[in-house]
Amino acid sequence: MSQNIKILPGATVCEDCTLEGDITIGGGTVIHPRVTIIAEGGPIIISEYCIIEEYATIIHKKAETQETPPKPLFIGAHNVFEVACKLESFFGHIGESNVFECRSFVGSDVKIGSGCVIGAACQLTVPQTLADNTVIWGSEHHNREALEKQPTQLLQLDFLSKVMPNYHRLRKPNIHKRLPSRPSQDTAK
Amino acid sequence: MAYLTQPDYVKYICSCGQLKPITNLYFCRHCLKIRCGFCICHEVDSHYCANCLENMPSSEARLKKNRCSSCFACPSCFHTLSTRATLARDPAGGDGKPPKKMYYLSCFNCRWTSRDVGIPDQPVASGGWPERTNPFTTRFNQLLDYYKAIAQQEKQEKLDKERKKFVTRGKYINLTDKTGLTGAMARNIAGLPSSESSSSVISNFVPSQASPDVEELPDDYHLKEIDLKQITRISQRTSCPELQPSLASRLSPRPRALCVKRSQRCRACDHNLTKPEYNPGSVKFKIELLAYYHVPEVKIISYETIKPGGTSALLLKLSNPTAHEMTVKMLQPEDVPDQEDEHKTIEKTLEKSLNLEKDISWNASFPRRPPPPNAGSVNLPAVSLTLAQRDDAAEYDDEPPGDNDDIILWRKSNKLALRLKLTTDAQAKVGSNAYFSFALQYSYRNTVPPSATVVQHSDHTLYTTLILDLGKVCE
Repeated sequence: MSQNIKILPGATVCEDCTLEGDITIGGGTVIHPRVTIIAEGGPIIISEYCIIEEYATIIHKKAETQETPPKPLFIGAHNVFEVACKLESFFGHIGESNVFECRSFVGSDVKIGSGCVIGAACQLTVPQTLADNTVIWGSEHHNREALEKQPTQLLQLDFLSKVMPNYHRLRKPNIHKRLPSRPSQDTAK
Repeated sequence: MAYLTQPDYVKYICSCGQLKPITNLYFCRHCLKIRCGFCICHEVDSHYCANCLENMPSSEARLKKNRCSSCFACPSCFHTLSTRATLARDPAGGDGKPPKKMYYLSCFNCRWTSRDVGIPDQPVASGGWPERTNPFTTRFNQLLDYYKAIAQQEKQEKLDKERKKFVTRGKYINLTDKTGLTGAMARNIAGLPSSESSSSVISNFVPSQASPDVEELPDDYHLKEIDLKQITRISQRTSCPELQPSLASRLSPRPRALCVKRSQRCRACDHNLTKPEYNPGSVKFKIELLAYYHVPEVKIISYETIKPGGTSALLLKLSNPTAHEMTVKMLQPEDVPDQEDEHKTIEKTLEKSLNLEKDISWNASFPRRPPPPNAGSVNLPAVSLTLAQRDDAAEYDDEPPGDNDDIILWRKSNKLALRLKLTTDAQAKVGSNAYFSFALQYSYRNTVPPSATVVQHSDHTLYTTLILDLGKVCE
């Protein structure tokens, strides 16, 4: 697999993680150690201000009907992937301000809007579409609709990007020219 | 830990006939019997909130409807709500004032917030949350007053009747007859509430009336598509019985229900079996008569598969939890001598405790010890085994392996492993549960100081019957 990892300035990416394929990591994003991101079905683009915690796994699966050129998996801004969550997707787009709680699993046929919360240990395996602000929790997968998006983790991000360099080896940003910021919809298409 | 996470493979038969694992059993040192939660008296010791650990007397708890005044439960998932702070900017502001801290309630489990249902943020961290008033409060109070009045009236009538029984109109002229002082006036002088007021409550009470006119359902009732996210689940409605919100937007934080600390009492001798410490933060007990500390514990190490008509080996571990040496002998459950004196002692103490109505009729009407289910029999050694006392320091000693023979596999401080043979019935059905039972005869030294009146032997021979669950009968 071709290694093509682009880290934008301002991103904090620990060295001790598995990144494979064509991956772009936006500024302000923090990736903890032991994270696995595999782009086998196409490029993965992670936007600004995401937190990806330890043992989180993001895989862009190969679809059966592979398009050429392959569709990128676009992960919006302010998403939080908590410890040991797993995301397998070949849909091109994941919205903003979602929270994937600890040990949650999102299968490949799930479309996720914005402001959704997938509760701890919840497993979404059936093809479905989560509308904006859906909250799923508990062993019975109760769901409800939140009124507003989950609050942003900017304070936490600030803290992490300050502390992380003191204790971990980091990957250096390799793109020094800031890309012109585009609205997320454009990249999805 | 195994007792918490695994099924109960070894069960003891309680003196009431229930099957329970040793961790769910109590041991009454005064009756020298195993008791379980089913056959003892549970008493509420104190009320407390499990979240803020505030203690309150039961009268206050009743007044607050058994709910904490400062903690809230999530109306959506019943988890405890947490208070979160945000910095609110003055909408009219801009005059350099520092942003004010505002608080709202939020659930960390389902992410429900008090903002979801439009409850405004509060300037103080605790208290001041708006309460939704019950639309039927007045009717509720009316009913309460009415039933109180009826109860009072009935009490009065009963009293009057009793008085009439004793007062015999005879030679003597009653004071009321002489002076014309009526009962109502006498009550008035004595400062008692007049019976008039209670009767007025009763006479003014309007019973509810059923009406044949029912509001019609909207036309689109059956056609309208239901959005499950907008309506509440049954558990959410019943958690708030006075309002029963049907829409998710009408949910409101519920004051958290209180917990109780219970003490357990033996029903036969009225002695305490457990008594928790009063402080809600403490998980210790002042009295803790658990079977786990007094009855020899049996654990299954391993066993061979159970086949109909075959014999299989069974390895058991016995341990002595007491601080005294214990002699253990294994018996067939049929060989346990009957201890029928129990009924008498129960009835005797019954007479003693007059105010406590104890129904022990079930004791007599049901067979006390149903024959344990059996898939075969355990071939038991006819020897008495001695178990050393529990010694917490023993595990640090390097002990030479104890005596080994064909029954005892190994011996280690207060523990003993046994090798036994099981004989399965030839008729045992394949796939049925393989239960095996045996009884233990064990010596027990009672450390309770004997009471002045009763001469008590401190050494006893006690019996307990156990049932082992060895999976299924295989082919």
